[in-house]
Formats: sequence, C-alpha cells, structure tokens
Amino acid sequence: MNISDMKILVCDDSILSRKKFKDCIVNMGCTEIYEAADGEEVVNVYKEVRPTLVFMDIVMPKKDGIDAVKDIIAFDPNAKIVMASSVGTQSFLKDAIKAGATDFLQKPIDGEQVKRLIENFLQGGN
Amino acid sequence: MFTQFFGNYLLNEKLVTPEQLVDALQEKKNTRLKLGVLAINAGYMNATQVEKAHMEQTKRDMRFGDICVDLGFLTEAQVDELLGAQKVGYLLLGQALVDKGYMDNATFESAINAYKAKYSLTDNDIVDGTASKIDELISSLCDFSSTDNEELYTEFVSLLFNNLIRFVGDDFTPLEPLSVIKESDNTYQTTQGIEGEFSTDTSIVADEDVMIAFASRYADEELTSFDEYVSAAACDFINLHNGLFTVNVSNSNEIELRLTPPYTDKGIKQTDKKLFVLPICYPFGTVSFTITL
Repeated sequence: MNISDMKILVCDDSILSRKKFKDCIVNMGCTEIYEAADGEEVVNVYKEVRPTLVFMDIVMPKKDGIDAVKDIIAFDPNAKIVMASSVGTQSFLKDAIKAGATDFLQKPIDGEQVKRLIENFLQGGN
Repeated sequence: MFTQFFGNYLLNEKLVTPEQLVDALQEKKNTRLKLGVLAINAGYMNATQVEKAHMEQTKRDMRFGDICVDLGFLTEAQVDELLGAQKVGYLLLGQALVDKGYMDNATFESAINAYKAKYSLTDNDIVDGTASKIDELISSLCDFSSTDNEELYTEFVSLLFNNLIRFVGDDFTPLEPLSVIKESDNTYQTTQGIEGEFSTDTSIVADEDVMIAFASRYADEELTSFDEYVSAAACDFINLHNGLFTVNVSNSNEIELRLTPPYTDKGIKQTDKKLFVLPICYPFGTVSFTITL
C-alpha cells in the first residue's frame, strides 16, 4: 500500500492537535484525512469512512478514547488504532491495548514519530 | 531552572523592577557573557577589580582577559577556565541586567553571592540542575507544608517549570504565589480536573492578549485574535502538563489518576476550595497557574 491510498482518521478534541497531525500527514502525501472531535463522533466517522488508520486521543468529552476504541473494535476487529495522548501511564497503556489499540504515541506529537509510525504501517510492520 | 529563581530573588530583594526584569529577560537571548560577570560569579574577581579592568581597557587596546592577567586579578588558567565554562542562564540574565544599566557590577556581585548563600548553591548544582536543590527552591517559593499532599504539589510545580521551559520558553520569572485570582473584564481561564486518589482542579488564567501570546508560543503559530486555536492551545498545554504529571505520579508513587477534558471560558469559575495561584511573568505578560489545595 502507498500513503496516497491510505485513509487516515484523526480524533482529538483539540483543533490544534488535529491540525498538527494533519500538517504532518499531508506532508507525507496522504490526501484522505478525516477528523473527529470526540469519542462519539469518531465511532460514527469510522463506520462511515472505514479508514486504514486511526489516531486516537484519550482524554475527550462525551466518550473517552479507550471506550471509543472498544466500540470501533466491536464493529471492526481489524481496525488499526494508534493512541496519541499525554497520559501515557502504564494503566492507560494496558487499558488501550486491552481495548484493541495497536500502538501508542506520547504527546507532544513529534512529526518524525508520526512519520516513522506510518512508514512502519505501510511496510506491514504492525 | 535557577535562572527563573534568580529572577524571583532579584524581584523580592527589590534589586530590579518587574519592568527591568522583563526587559532583561527579552534581551537575554542576544546577550553574550563577558569575562567580568563570569569572574565575579566564580569568585575570582570582585566588582571593584572588574571596574578597574574596564577603566584600564579604555586606555589600552587589549582584551579584557589579558588586562586582568596583567593587573594580577586573574591567572591565564583562570581566564581559559572561565571562557570554557558552561554558559548558565542566570548569568546571562545578570549580564543583560548589567548591560542594560539596571544593575552595576557591585550589585550583581552581592546579589549572586547572597542568592547562592541563601540556598547553599554551588556552581555544580546550577550546571547539573541538582534536583534536591530545585525542590528546595520550589519549597521556599511555594509552601505546601500545610497540605496533605506536599510532595505531589511540589512535583506539580517542579514539572510545571520544566514544561514551561520546554514548551513555552525559559524567559520567565515566577512571582510570589497568591490565594486569589486577579480578574479583569477580559480574563480567560482554561480548566482541567485531576481525579482519583489525589483530586484537584487546575487552571491557566490570563488576560486575552496574554493568552493569545502564550498560545502562539506554545503552538508555534502566529495567533493574532482570540479564536478556537488559542483556546485549544491553552487546553493542550494544561492537558500535556497534567498528562505528564499523571505519568510521573503513576511511575513514582503508584497512584493512578484520571483527567477530565480541558475547556476554556471567559471569566473565572468561582470555587469554595482553597486556591494556590502561581503567577508567571513572561515578557508578553503574566500567566497564572492555579491548583486547588
């Protein structure tokens, strides 16, 4: 798969965080980027769009990122979801992985990290 | 972090005004450390000797270091050592204050010696950022001894200073903590709750233009009016800080905490809990960080 074939869904309640993600992903050549601002919206957008990869914040209004991962995995057990949060505690990591997340990025978001992660994904690395 | 506390010390001792400090902090990045300030800091020369060497330099076309060696104030080895030493931030602040004429060499000499003596700081502490010394400085500024969670509150403030240095800029000075929030008619507050075994409300408070400047620095974007990006940047900062705090607390104290989603509002949310308000003075204005006790 090429990056231009990817559909990436970015879920974060911060418009600024979403922008930082988008800037970085657009630079890599991805053209299909979708956004969601809370844990409820992301589940709906996921069902509609069926993205290749999801970046998911944890602390969000309405529904947190862990519960959103559970809902998405229930709908699509093969969903590829990367958590991106400032709250990288062991227990949150455990919860996220138990819920079905594939990877974790500690905020602040570093463009290089996102790039490596996507490249790795494209090579079938996860 | 010693730069920020040195600034606070100078303010408390009324050796500089807040305006002069802000001006010097702005100038700091363009400031080059000169041998005189370095020699005073190392205790190799006193202010009178520095002045004398400066006078001599106006008469003779020689480098300052060579003049000091010539006058017997320094050895060649000391000059090399001073020039090769790590450039520490508080010295740049001192140099900027001297360069601007806000402080003379003699005042700098007594201030730096008194500051080091008061907190038993050595140059090694300062260069290495010795953690116990930083905690001591924080405790002297922020007294949490009457709370049940002194260690956690101190950790919170210590991490806050580090995050400000890392994500916003090191050109700030903490001012004396308050127990009330000063509010004007264009004050904004970004709030986030920490829940669990240690439960508290945290917030960032600033007037509109200061919040915009703070957000611009943090987001690394030119933000000019108070829009959703400004609000989001303040939320991101508090969420990042509190997130890292929960990680640290989880690792070192094995306490698991949760965060509520942050939000920004105009005006101050009243609370009946006891407040700790830490005003942080940046060149663009004062941002206050609050935490309930």
